[in-house]
Amino acid sequence: MQISCDDITLAFAGAETPVFADLNFVLKGPGFHALFGPSGVGKTTLAHLLIDQVRPDTGRVRIDGCPRRLYSYNLERLPGWSSVGRHLERITPPTRRARCAELAVEFGIEAVLGQRFARLSLGQKNRVNLIRYLVQDFDLLIMDESLANVDERTREQIIAKIKVLFPDRFFLYISHNVIEVARFCRQVLVLRGAHRRPRALTVPGLDGETNGDSASPAMAQTMLTIMNAV
Amino acid sequence: MLTRRIYQFLIVYAAGLALLLGLKYLAGLSDYVIPGPSLVWQTFHDVWGRYAADTLDTLTVAVLGQVASICLATAIGIVGRQTTWFGNFVKVAAYNVQAYPIVALAPIIFILLGDGFITRLAIAAMICYFPLLLVVLGVMSEPVEEIEHFYRMTGRMRWQLEVKIRAFENLHKLTTVVAGSATLAMAGTIVAEFIAANAGIGYSIRIALYQSDLGKILIALFLIGISLSVYQALLEWAGTLVHRRWEMVEGGAVP
Repeated sequence: MQISCDDITLAFAGAETPVFADLNFVLKGPGFHALFGPSGVGKTTLAHLLIDQVRPDTGRVRIDGCPRRLYSYNLERLPGWSSVGRHLERITPPTRRARCAELAVEFGIEAVLGQRFARLSLGQKNRVNLIRYLVQDFDLLIMDESLANVDERTREQIIAKIKVLFPDRFFLYISHNVIEVARFCRQVLVLRGAHRRPRALTVPGLDGETNGDSASPAMAQTMLTIMNAV
Repeated sequence: MLTRRIYQFLIVYAAGLALLLGLKYLAGLSDYVIPGPSLVWQTFHDVWGRYAADTLDTLTVAVLGQVASICLATAIGIVGRQTTWFGNFVKVAAYNVQAYPIVALAPIIFILLGDGFITRLAIAAMICYFPLLLVVLGVMSEPVEEIEHFYRMTGRMRWQLEVKIRAFENLHKLTTVVAGSATLAMAGTIVAEFIAANAGIGYSIRIALYQSDLGKILIALFLIGISLSVYQALLEWAGTLVHRRWEMVEGGAVP
């Protein structure tokens, strides 16, 4: 499994500066990887490039070993005519019902399965949304701030669980939380400002599975490397 | 809902009647031009039964015309929501055709179909069709991206599901335009009857006009207003009921 971008240039109509110019990077999978960078730098646009929703003006996106690609984002909603549990039941393939139930417990949304999606808190909504993607067929799942509004401890539990349950899949986690990406991700793809070259840098993360010590020298060094790369 | 609509109508009707009577007494107009309250009351006693039946006849045609319009607008809206050339063609054609005043076509329909039931129905349907179509087209053409994204990503999206999502998300807008178009359907039927039909309250108003009998016209307006208020209130109530029911369905089938 590998994602690579070769000399990608992309400009939106009417924009003065291109979103990407000479964007090059390689991410080798599987595993839990991060896409990190300041707001507006093009993280979501890059995600759209990876799922073929946007075509580059020049250059090439190559994704090897990931024929089934999904992209989830944190503003998604479920239809309002059925309960959360009923919806999950409908969209979960029969062979993954047990996995779905397990994730509902692990992600802490078991108690709200009988409720309407609109009644849930933002964090609960994001967890429900993530579960319905995790029970689909996929090789690559891009999680665009999919754990926004979830408290830190639960978020870390969820990431650790995903890493244990799906070791053979490729995850690209878009996040603004440097501690989280440094601690849990195998590689951190840092997208830099429009005028910096190269536009993207790959920083190795600690790829931990459990709650580590954020004051450890290795953690501090990784975080510093990520922040310097931005 | 029903009482509010009737109250609103009665207030407007009473204000209009007061204005006419004020004009009558201020300008010293005769009962022949504007009848006094006792004459209006007497006229009401004489004609209310026949006029009520005529109003019911008109309302029936209006309701049937509106149902036909809703079906047609829904079908065209579903086709026009597509981003294919055909969908775009339907959408552009719908926007362009609605700019033409449909009432102007009424004489042609009368010449071709005569002055019976079908003609009244056609005109009623045509007049309330375009506002419905524009709203349905607008609703059906606008993706609800934050809901539809998952179904597209996972290859689950079907046209029925797409229509269901967009209708559910815009149910309030749809029920409002259906209730609003009831007035247009009624107006269309009355215009048709007024022009050339041989039945309905519009036809009775035309006869009253030839007799210069303002009392009869006032009674007809009263009955039209009351029946329309009741009908609109029923539509609003049905819309609320549909919304509540749909939201309460514990596992509304996702195709």
